[in-house]
Amino acid sequence: MSLVPPELLASLDLPAILDGLPMGVAVLDREGRVLTVNSALERLTGFTREQARGVPCRHVVRSGLCMRRCPAQWPADTEIVNRQRRMIPVRISAIPVRDASGLELFRLDLVEDLSAVRDLERRLEEPGGIGGLVGKSPAMERILKLLPAMAQSGVPVMVVGETGTGKDAVAEALHKLSPRAREPFVRVDCGPMPPESLEAELFGRTQPSGDIVPGAFARAGAGTVYLSDVGELPDALQARLVAFLDEGTVLAAGARVPVRSQARLVASSPAFPEDMVRAGRLRRDLADRLGDPRLALPPLRERPEDIEFLLAHFLAIYSAKFRKDVTGFTPKARLLLLAHDYPGNVRELRNVVEYAVMVCAKPDIAPACLPAHLLAQLAAPTGSD
Amino acid sequence: MRKKRVLIPLYLGEVAPRFDLATEVLIADVLPGEACSAGDIHPVPRPSMDGLCDLALGKGVDVVICGGIEEECYHFLRWKRVEVLDNVAAKAQTALERFAGGTLKSGDILFPEEDAHVR
Repeated sequence: MSLVPPELLASLDLPAILDGLPMGVAVLDREGRVLTVNSALERLTGFTREQARGVPCRHVVRSGLCMRRCPAQWPADTEIVNRQRRMIPVRISAIPVRDASGLELFRLDLVEDLSAVRDLERRLEEPGGIGGLVGKSPAMERILKLLPAMAQSGVPVMVVGETGTGKDAVAEALHKLSPRAREPFVRVDCGPMPPESLEAELFGRTQPSGDIVPGAFARAGAGTVYLSDVGELPDALQARLVAFLDEGTVLAAGARVPVRSQARLVASSPAFPEDMVRAGRLRRDLADRLGDPRLALPPLRERPEDIEFLLAHFLAIYSAKFRKDVTGFTPKARLLLLAHDYPGNVRELRNVVEYAVMVCAKPDIAPACLPAHLLAQLAAPTGSD
Repeated sequence: MRKKRVLIPLYLGEVAPRFDLATEVLIADVLPGEACSAGDIHPVPRPSMDGLCDLALGKGVDVVICGGIEEECYHFLRWKRVEVLDNVAAKAQTALERFAGGTLKSGDILFPEEDAHVR
């Protein structure tokens, strides 16, 4: 095997070569101390190369293997904890660098970030397969089937549902499942806000210096702009949205030249577009452009078969969150929870379970652990019988 | 000033690089500004984030000095009013002495810097 001439090796700009690699690289001496790291590993671990230099690599890479079987049989999938306290799934491979006699001089540890792969796997395995949305009723199963198809399209989508039915979660799921998932998801609440502020928030504004403060459409880039409660938008801004949907451009407040925007629009409302048009809260031309396709989220009282499933779902989440060994409900508490009509929908049910797990000191949640207002509501009809 | 009970997860006599993987911990009572005791070493048969948090709370620990710690665990301990000095890379005794001297802070790297062969 012909060796690379030493003068050629000496002339190489090794740091620049390492910085050009997409995965993290740590160059280690024979004792496993860091000689240098490339910029990808700096970003992954949060340690600069100056901080890492001379430090045993286990204190920089901090993988799940460092304290178990290092040097490991490589490559291996594990996880690291970076300086920002994030646990990141990674694949680590090691390459020994030897001289002509076979003596190991250095070791290169390659660290690949597997976050995107794991994220995709998790999304595919989630109940219902999508975001935080769960439900076993036919209505929810239909929505969970529709979502991936709608996500693939770039057309605007209207999400309709009462408060607490999960409109925000659906909008986010539409973004995460779409080809735009790597781009920003920008949410704008169209609720009470001065029209000038809302205009700047949506479309940006021109500063006295001439610089433009970016609005939601500029911040989203090729991602998604989600307008919550779109019927609350003033008429003039609704007209600007129509212009965006027709021409694909937005005009910042105080600017003269419109700018192209590739963002996708998702809007939500508690009422159907036709009803809002009749009530004079939504322009017909905007309703025509936003109204289809639409996702109508059923209130919880129309899908009671989901209540038990959701109770178990949130119980598992909050037991883990509060580190409590709460595993179920007493029969009486279960009956009370199933009898409630949940005007606040899934959000209310979630809050009830969160509170109950928080105050419960036994393995099963008893009626005494349920919020007092819920018990009072449930007791009222019984008392009048 | 009252004594503070300090917990340091250990690995090879160093502050363990990962809080959740430490198989033993050092627990020492420290009076800030004075020489600290050697402390006691407690084995952790099945290391885990939850197990170590429970151990810290069960032993009435005031301060955890550690390397990498996950966000959730960090905030849980803070919520339980345990001070956490994380991202510390050092020999355990060095970290403890620095803490006793009042000069240890999160992010301290206390290994002597070696000459690098690569820029």
